Amino acid sequence: MTQAEIKLCSLLLQEHFGEIVEKIGVHLIRTGSQPLRVIVHDTATSLDQVKKALCVLIQHNLVLYQVHKRGVVEYEAQCNRVLRMLRYPRYIYTTKALYGDTGELIVEELLLNGKMTMSAVVKKVADRLTETVEDGKTMDYAEVSNTFVQLADTRFVQRCPMVHIPENSDTGPSPPAPSLVINEKDMYLVPKLSLIGKGKRRRSSDEDAAGEPKAKRPKRPMDSKEPIPDDGIYWQANLDRFHQHFRDQAIVSAVANRMDQTSSEIMRAMLRMSEVTTSSDAPFTQPLSSNEIFRSLPVGYNISKQVLDQYLTLLADDPLEFVGKSGDSGGGMYIINFCKALASLAIATLESVIQERFGSRCARIFRLVLQKKHLEQKQVEDFAMIPAKEAKDMLYKMLSENFISLQEIPKTPDHAPSRTFYLYTVNVLSAVRMLLHRCYKSVSNLIERRQFETKENKRLLEKSQRVEAIIASVQATGAEEAQLQEIEEMITAPERQQLETLKRNVNKLDASEIQVDETIFLLESYIESTTKRQ
Amino acid sequence: MAEVKVKVQTPDAVPVEIENRIIELCHQFPHGITDQVIQNEMPHIEAQQRAVAINRLLSMGQLDLLRSSTGLLYRIKDSQNAGKMKGSDNQEKLVYQIIEDAGNKGIWSRDIRYKSNLPLTEINKILKNLESKKLIKAVKSVAASKKKVYMLYNLQPDRSVTGGAWYSDQDFESEFVEVLNQQCFKFLQSKAETARESKQNPMIQRNSSFASSHEVWKYICELGISKVELSMEDIETILNTLIYDGKVEMTIIAAKEGTVGSVDGHMKLYRAVSPIIPPTGLVRAPCGLCPVFDDCHEGGEISPSNCIYMTEWLEF
Repeated sequence: MTQAEIKLCSLLLQEHFGEIVEKIGVHLIRTGSQPLRVIVHDTATSLDQVKKALCVLIQHNLVLYQVHKRGVVEYEAQCNRVLRMLRYPRYIYTTKALYGDTGELIVEELLLNGKMTMSAVVKKVADRLTETVEDGKTMDYAEVSNTFVQLADTRFVQRCPMVHIPENSDTGPSPPAPSLVINEKDMYLVPKLSLIGKGKRRRSSDEDAAGEPKAKRPKRPMDSKEPIPDDGIYWQANLDRFHQHFRDQAIVSAVANRMDQTSSEIMRAMLRMSEVTTSSDAPFTQPLSSNEIFRSLPVGYNISKQVLDQYLTLLADDPLEFVGKSGDSGGGMYIINFCKALASLAIATLESVIQERFGSRCARIFRLVLQKKHLEQKQVEDFAMIPAKEAKDMLYKMLSENFISLQEIPKTPDHAPSRTFYLYTVNVLSAVRMLLHRCYKSVSNLIERRQFETKENKRLLEKSQRVEAIIASVQATGAEEAQLQEIEEMITAPERQQLETLKRNVNKLDASEIQVDETIFLLESYIESTTKRQ
Repeated sequence: MAEVKVKVQTPDAVPVEIENRIIELCHQFPHGITDQVIQNEMPHIEAQQRAVAINRLLSMGQLDLLRSSTGLLYRIKDSQNAGKMKGSDNQEKLVYQIIEDAGNKGIWSRDIRYKSNLPLTEINKILKNLESKKLIKAVKSVAASKKKVYMLYNLQPDRSVTGGAWYSDQDFESEFVEVLNQQCFKFLQSKAETARESKQNPMIQRNSSFASSHEVWKYICELGISKVELSMEDIETILNTLIYDGKVEMTIIAAKEGTVGSVDGHMKLYRAVSPIIPPTGLVRAPCGLCPVFDDCHEGGEISPSNCIYMTEWLEF
């Protein structure tokens, strides 16, 4: 774990869970897997607090535990998983686009709570939706359950590993930590629940259907004591599936940019077909025949079979090499080459960064060296048609930033500089890693700046909150216009301006974090796909 | 009475006569005669006389001495050339010959020294002499600006020395290259546009968005923005720079020999393309373009809290 990653994890943990959890989490990330006693000792926090912090982290799938020999349980933090917290808004937004508000709230609840039972999720989401819907209408549990089942079918949510109870459980003492297993085919199996009910509003001034007076309110918590039908079956969001979706999105938009809309639709159809047949980290999809693709094109997209075939041939022949032809049966068998697609996207990211940082001539030199693999100084000038002095300057600049590296080929055994060939080359994997590191640091910087801005204006924010609370209470007890006016004037105009600016800045920084996270996703996927191959 | 020894001597052919005969022979065989041929013609002359005659002819500059696989050849020298070299001595002739052999690529003074084994000072004197006689000229090489290569006066320097169409007097014409770059790109872009709007089936659409290098070359010639005549290879180098800019892609197809623009049975086709991703997220944040990124950390002189780039960016 690099320094930049650790810093980013610490910022994220602090923002989401607070100081204590951050301390424990960062300690675990830094030192790897540790037993409980050691954690207590090293971080100098009380056992109670450490236990609570670990609970929180385990609940959110950020820390795993393992029973080692001699019965010691060790806890290990997953740095990658902590970094995913940056991507939560993107997950929620994707679900919203695919399954509407219901889906959005389901995934949001799951992400915020780590693991939840289905009934709890459904209930909570129904309550929330009922609040937003206009008066008089309530959200039916059935609708929410349907969306939940849909999410499970498309594998966006999955079951958490469950406690494994061996047959002969009465032999010997119980193990120090339960072992969790989950069967592959059970992972997306939705339990048969009959959740009947409607979402309830939370507002105290509401007259609910049963007409219960306020006095009866304390009885509410009693309801939750009923045995929940699916106790022990917890669900979590399946982040891998989301990543697969993002990757597919990136590929489709790349094809749309390079070719046209129809080709990207065909690509989308092909990707959808291979969603469930191919595992998320396979380098190629299963071969898809052109007949199948024709059948699974979206309805209303009426292009003839011949035109489809032509598009498929064009896709297969394109220098991008996203699609390859693997055979001729069934009208032509086509596969999607994920390795190549991710590599092209990562390289395009690199080129875009160089273009924005150093200029388009530098980008030209970079692409040239990338294509020709190894070039001498003189050849670079000749091919790129850039004057010698400028070309030299640009090459050295890129060299100092480690986008380009030098390969020495000596002519004589004594490696004399005047008798050595120096060739420029691009090592894509190391350049991508370097850029990824820079992305992590950038996100930490953005978060820090956001916190700084908020802290600077803390006094103002507190004041505005107080004023809002006063207004709300005054309105509740019935007030005149003049009184409200007076209270609102407690915040002067320049202060209001400041608040506006603050809000705008914080939003901008937030948005920027998410944008950098998009780059992080592309680069990480590329590194994963290349290192897995080796 | 002493015996008058009458030495039967072969008639002492006058040396001039021998020379004339040799020259006649040379005229008869313009591509050169060997020693054997002369011997056959005039068997009565001794080898020594022959050698003397040949040497005289050589020094007078009327004969050329060449070495061939079978031995030495003598060839009549072009009379025009012969006139030029009058008054030059052997060394100069040698140097001149070396420079002539270098053709239109020219030769560097150090190489002349190696080939002729003459000392540097001599070489310099000879070169100066020849230059003043307007027999050779010095051309500055574009590769190494301090190096001067010598070649015959009336020869056009080769492209590798002067850099070809892109260099005018040793200066790389970058604006010219830029203009050509943009023009080619515009041409390809408009071709792709028309192809896209034609809305026919995709194969035809794609094929019509391609332009061969020959078409681009014709277009540029007709545009007339270049004062220098450009060849198809020049246009191809410009199109290659467009490929490295990521704006154009190239395919090679097999073409029938004889179709316009095909070279050795294949043709290069170019097509304008757009980048596959929009500018990436990292460069939209100030940190992606920050020049002092490595010095930035919390609590230091340069930190996210007091970053001036961020302040400017937030005010945008």
